Amino acid sequence: MFLHYIDLSIRSIKSTPVISVLMVFAIAIGIGLTMTSLSVFHMMSMDPIPHKSQAIHFPQLNIMDEGGEWHTDDNIPYQLTYQDAINLYNADADFPRSPSFRSGFSVHLNTPDVKPTMEPARLVYQEFFSIFERPFIFGAPWSKEEQQSKPYVVVISESINNRLFNGQNSVGKSIYLDNKSYRIVGVVEDWDHHIKYYDLNNGAFNSPEKLYVPFSIAPLEEIGTWGNTNGWKHETLNGYQSLLQSELVWVQFWVQLNTAAEKEAFSALIMAYMEDQQSKGRFNRDNLQYALRNVTQWLKYNQVVSEDNRILVGLSFMFLLVCVANILGLLLAKFLKRAPEVGVRRALGASKKHIFAQHIVEVSVIGLAGGILGIVIAQLGLWGVRTTNRYYEALATMDVSLLLAAPTIALMASFIAGLYPAWLVCRTQPAIYLKSQ
Amino acid sequence: MLTMHNVGKIYQTDSVQTHALRDFSLTVNEGEFIAVTGPSGSGKTTFLNIAGLLEPFTSGQYTLDGIDIGGLSDNQRADIRNQKIGYIFQGFNLIPDLNIYENVEVPLRYRGVPAKERKVRILECLEQVGLASRARHLPQQLSGGQQQRVAIARALAGKPRFLLADEPTGNLDTLMARQVMELLEEINQNGATIVMVTHDPELARRAPRNIQVVDGELADLTFYQGKPATPASAPEKSAHESVVGG
Ligand SMILES: Nc1ncnc2c1ncn2[C@@H]1O[C@H](COP(=O)(O)OP(=O)(O)OP(=O)(O)O)[C@@H](O)[C@H]1O
Ligand SMILES: [Mg+2]
Repeated sequence: MFLHYIDLSIRSIKSTPVISVLMVFAIAIGIGLTMTSLSVFHMMSMDPIPHKSQAIHFPQLNIMDEGGEWHTDDNIPYQLTYQDAINLYNADADFPRSPSFRSGFSVHLNTPDVKPTMEPARLVYQEFFSIFERPFIFGAPWSKEEQQSKPYVVVISESINNRLFNGQNSVGKSIYLDNKSYRIVGVVEDWDHHIKYYDLNNGAFNSPEKLYVPFSIAPLEEIGTWGNTNGWKHETLNGYQSLLQSELVWVQFWVQLNTAAEKEAFSALIMAYMEDQQSKGRFNRDNLQYALRNVTQWLKYNQVVSEDNRILVGLSFMFLLVCVANILGLLLAKFLKRAPEVGVRRALGASKKHIFAQHIVEVSVIGLAGGILGIVIAQLGLWGVRTTNRYYEALATMDVSLLLAAPTIALMASFIAGLYPAWLVCRTQPAIYLKSQ
Repeated sequence: MLTMHNVGKIYQTDSVQTHALRDFSLTVNEGEFIAVTGPSGSGKTTFLNIAGLLEPFTSGQYTLDGIDIGGLSDNQRADIRNQKIGYIFQGFNLIPDLNIYENVEVPLRYRGVPAKERKVRILECLEQVGLASRARHLPQQLSGGQQQRVAIARALAGKPRFLLADEPTGNLDTLMARQVMELLEEINQNGATIVMVTHDPELARRAPRNIQVVDGELADLTFYQGKPATPASAPEKSAHESVVGG
């Protein structure tokens, strides 16, 4: 019977092509728009590292003297000073942790046949790779020894390895960053993330870095950040060394704390460190203040999913509702016009259930067609988002769950639109239309 | 088979009340062939619709095969329609999107007859009305008379024990009308109870029993056992008082 209903639906759709096409398009456009905004929203609000988002933490110190103001919700600067980052890294504790910041180099092989290209790079300590579970294709992170005493080493990404070394194992070879030669110790997979949760400085949806060099290179080569640098008091800098000594914040810091106990221990470490610094003349404030947020809290704190995004999703659903209302009207007209036929079917033994099922199936067929067309429209919409705004490139894609959600939402929308008309038509009294015509 | 006792039907539209049927009492026995005549608007279709469970009635009692129809749910009525009753409507009421074969198939589908058996029965019925070769035509590709025959085939397909026909020959020429009448007589011979509304006195005469409906009231005119009836006399107000047999 179900197949028969589908057959009837398709005939009915064919027999009223204009109304049917209108309905399919109404659903498709509603779904397309909803899916576009929902996809972006979904990618934005997705947990970027589900199995570790509760373990990886970002410490923040309130370095300001009493009365200092910062623009964050809790009045704590959102990055660390270089000296605090180094001190927290060197503190005596076992938790994997790493300072980091984004910069960039001109990358070349010092041969005339390969043109130098400017590539973004991240300065990190070796723990960074294990904290964020970066998979190595060749080699491994540099050793602690290397980052301390022979820091001219580099981990390159797959795409650079493909470009410069045709994808061959390049471990042990040298490449040039600016005018210095670095030995390649590892090739890491390209980081294909939607949210750049480990560094929100240049925007939450920025592209990943292609190179990693030891953090200890920074003072040696006087490497500046490509991210933000902020301060809370007036300081005159002369030269790179004074930047490192300054109260300016420009370094990110991540620490992996697997348990509540570990988190407590690291909190104590921060407190002890701040007290120690206070005794040396910094942190002139009544109450020492710090924050230690995990990835989930960090993204929320930084409002990665903004209120605007939520409103946009809400609006698109409202638009879908308008589409549903239109479809409801069209279905009502279409189904009621068919009342005589329904009367005949009822007279020939169709129960209300039969009639209801027949019409709900028809509505579902329209909904499903609209949903599938809606996916196409959503892909177009996302393509539009990607091309007009490169910043959203990694975000404006549809994952499997949304690909499945689209027809589901379309079906639900068409149900909502079709319930009333189908109910109305199944109440048709068999006799009314059977008198002489 | 069918007993109506003081059945009444009132149509209420905005301000007007129409007494389509009043105090309608009738017994139809298994295997009867009854012709219903009466002026236009007298309530013949209304009677047929109520008898066929297509319409609720406003007062009185109606039992079909011992079942009190007044107390049935909508679904139960649909089941009885589907299982026991065949209809030939006053208009053809074929479904325009379905071809002839599929139109005849409709009641069988609702009855849950398996596909193979459906096919046999449909072709059999189309054969009976001489339209087997038109099975794949759409209703609008047939003449009025042919459409009427499809409607008859559709009513027969379910092998109903109770056949209600509302002007089954209204759209046919005399020859066709006679053929249809012969078909109905054959079905009646095979055991089906038939109630047929007709305007044609000649056809009415062929039916063993005639009843007349005037202003929603019943005048049971004749009850000839198998013999041709004399033409139904013009309706009189007092007709229902001279009920014969029943
Ligand atoms: N759905 C309805 N609403 C209101 N009045 C109705 C309705 N159906 C029928 N009537 C009225 O009830 C009366 C009987 O109608 P019915 O259709 O039974 O007559 P009929 O004898 O079949 O006439 P005809 O020979 O023209 O087919 C008429 O006066 C008609 O106007
Ligand atoms: Mg009539």
